[in-house]
Amino acid sequence: MTLVHNWHLGRRMEYPYFESRPKRQFAAVFNINRCIACQTCTMACKSAWTYNKGQEYMWWNNVETKPYGGYPQSWDVKTLKLIDNGENTWFTDEKDEKLSPYGVYEGDTIFEAAAKKNINQWAVGYIPEDKEWRSPNIGEDVAKSNNKSDEYSSLPEHSRWFFYIQRLCNHCTYPGCLAACPRKAIYKRKEDGIVLIDQKRCRGYRKCVEQCPYKKPMYRGLTRVSEKCIACYPRVEGKDPLTKGRPMETRCMAACVGQIRLQGFLDDNPKNPVTWLIKHDKLALPLYPQFGTEPNIYYIPPRWAPRPYLRQMFGPGVDEAIDKFMVPSRERLAVLSLFRMTQSIVFEYKIEEGPKVFETMIHGKKFEMYNDTVIGFGEDGQEIVRTTIEEPIHIRDPKHLNSI
Amino acid sequence: MKRRLMLLKRYGFALLSCAFLSTSAFAAEDTAPGVKGASDEEYTPAKEVLTVKYVQMEKPYHLDVESLTGSFKDAKEVVIPLQKQDKAFPNGGGSVSNAEVKAIHDGLSIYFQVKWKDPTRNARAIAVQEFRDAVALMFPLGTVLMDPAEHFSPRMGDREKPVNLWHWKSDWEADMLVKGELEDVEAQYPNMHDDFNLNPYSAYYHRDLITSIAVLSGGRAARNLLSQPGRGRSVEDLNAEGFGTLTTQDHQDVFGCSRYEDGEWTVIFYRSLITEDPHDAQFVPGGNTFFNMAVWNGGEKDRNGQKNISIQWHPLSIERVAWQ
Ligand code: SF4
Ligand code: SF4
Repeated sequence: MTLVHNWHLGRRMEYPYFESRPKRQFAAVFNINRCIACQTCTMACKSAWTYNKGQEYMWWNNVETKPYGGYPQSWDVKTLKLIDNGENTWFTDEKDEKLSPYGVYEGDTIFEAAAKKNINQWAVGYIPEDKEWRSPNIGEDVAKSNNKSDEYSSLPEHSRWFFYIQRLCNHCTYPGCLAACPRKAIYKRKEDGIVLIDQKRCRGYRKCVEQCPYKKPMYRGLTRVSEKCIACYPRVEGKDPLTKGRPMETRCMAACVGQIRLQGFLDDNPKNPVTWLIKHDKLALPLYPQFGTEPNIYYIPPRWAPRPYLRQMFGPGVDEAIDKFMVPSRERLAVLSLFRMTQSIVFEYKIEEGPKVFETMIHGKKFEMYNDTVIGFGEDGQEIVRTTIEEPIHIRDPKHLNSI
Repeated sequence: MKRRLMLLKRYGFALLSCAFLSTSAFAAEDTAPGVKGASDEEYTPAKEVLTVKYVQMEKPYHLDVESLTGSFKDAKEVVIPLQKQDKAFPNGGGSVSNAEVKAIHDGLSIYFQVKWKDPTRNARAIAVQEFRDAVALMFPLGTVLMDPAEHFSPRMGDREKPVNLWHWKSDWEADMLVKGELEDVEAQYPNMHDDFNLNPYSAYYHRDLITSIAVLSGGRAARNLLSQPGRGRSVEDLNAEGFGTLTTQDHQDVFGCSRYEDGEWTVIFYRSLITEDPHDAQFVPGGNTFFNMAVWNGGEKDRNGQKNISIQWHPLSIERVAWQ
């Protein structure tokens, strides 16, 4: 093993290969607060990549209900039990903006747990059986409840609650799947950090299925090899004619009805909306950072769910992120307005200030809203989208009331 | 206390990493990460020689275990001890303790018969949790000297010390018995619905779909032999130069047949003694070489390095033909 730096954990950790970050990293921000679990993303992926024989059970993208749902069933509980029995201990008194923005994780990662348990493979894991992969959202809308009469909706935390979590391959910086593959059939692309399974080198050993903590590689019985989310790489490379050569967001992102998703690249540009939300504003958090793979799909946590559960799921940054989300700053509101305004990947944003339009108090804090304009630029620096905080209202002429 | 722990976590690891890096730099010479070096014992071949007996054979119309067993009656068996693979990650195996090997040739083809005990027959790998029973033979490429100084690994060969592997798979054999020569998903899930049927023999055969296979099926489009229907054989012909380098040959030359009875597999591999493929081991009557082997028990979820292996090369002596 070598030692690599994992900034989610704020420390170095053991990994079988050296640290080698891509030029820019495929990443996305999902706003859990807005998801309606319509599964349009799920179907967009299915109809593009997994509609074929032997892929019937595959949902490279799925939306599941927490705390009880899971695809495959109980994947999170089972993996958490393999590391620290679900304990998620962090030292948060000291933080470093770059190296340890959430503090330091004190438990074991999937790699460290494997070394400790001496199981002679790279990471802990398990293979879910076919029956565990039955549905993309089994247990839909099943809520957790304390069965008391007073439990109905009082914020800040509901005591009867559930929320949806949108899942696809995290194109991890330190992929468990890649570490697990004894044949090195899995590779992470230097140009965009997308993690792929080479369909020629794969021999169907299912070590990736076993050691991906997120359970996103899937075995295809028909071809006897494993497949996984390919981050719609032809679109990300700008090969889709629709965007005329510009990098384009993936199918599951572009199809999002709830407008919860923004995809782009994590890079060093502080004015890249994805980078800003993740690294600078810290509004979006990694899913189960304690697994240690440095996953690259980031979530704005749901504000109504109990904090201990959320801390276990997204780490110690949860409280700050929720506070920020409930009373958004001017810049934050502008960046959030970019979500789903275009299919082309936004590489940089600029805000043009507008007049104040609204003011209120939220949980004792003052909130002011300005009708700013936010402009998104593509890879080539050209403007690709422009939108305002207040959506324009169009009133239909009464003579067309019944027409489309 | 808490703080000290944290400091240890942050800086202790850095120190450790220095220590670790220096050891790994030393170790890098002969091992890869996750791979333990082998002992001299492993580089010394076993004593007992497997004689490839020359027999005159009436080639049966059907090459199957029933019709071939008779020809092996005068061949002397060698019992090969097997053990858990414990050198390269992921480690595993250990459920099969030995296998019995016999070999014959008729001047044209060479036949190896391998028998081992396995209480469960696992001949399908369609469900995610199912793994196949399998057995492999391994031969060094070319004429080699096997002594401890040579360091010719009996595990998967080594860089510049390539090996030729014959990998028999129980599910490939099962594939050969079905129309279309690939057990389809329905074999495992009879009532499963699918929108697109790739089986060219099905009632719903759809030409356009079959010809757009590249989009529909990664493994097939990439020409992965595991994914191809109609392979026409149950043995895969491969090469390797160490752990993780196993590669399917472009030219497949080996065949096999099998029988599973009373908790025992009998597998017969056969190939012509000499082939034109430079990546194949060649068997010259009157000559000597070495072999090694491994067994996978699908019931124990054996696959890849999780296997039952012999940790020594075994000498192989090929009898002269009658007219030599
Ligand atoms: S989420 Fe799983 S499959 Fe995707 S890169 Fe990470 S470890 Fe690999
Ligand atoms: S990125 Fe593309 S391949 Fe991956 S889950 Fe989304 S739609 Fe599917």
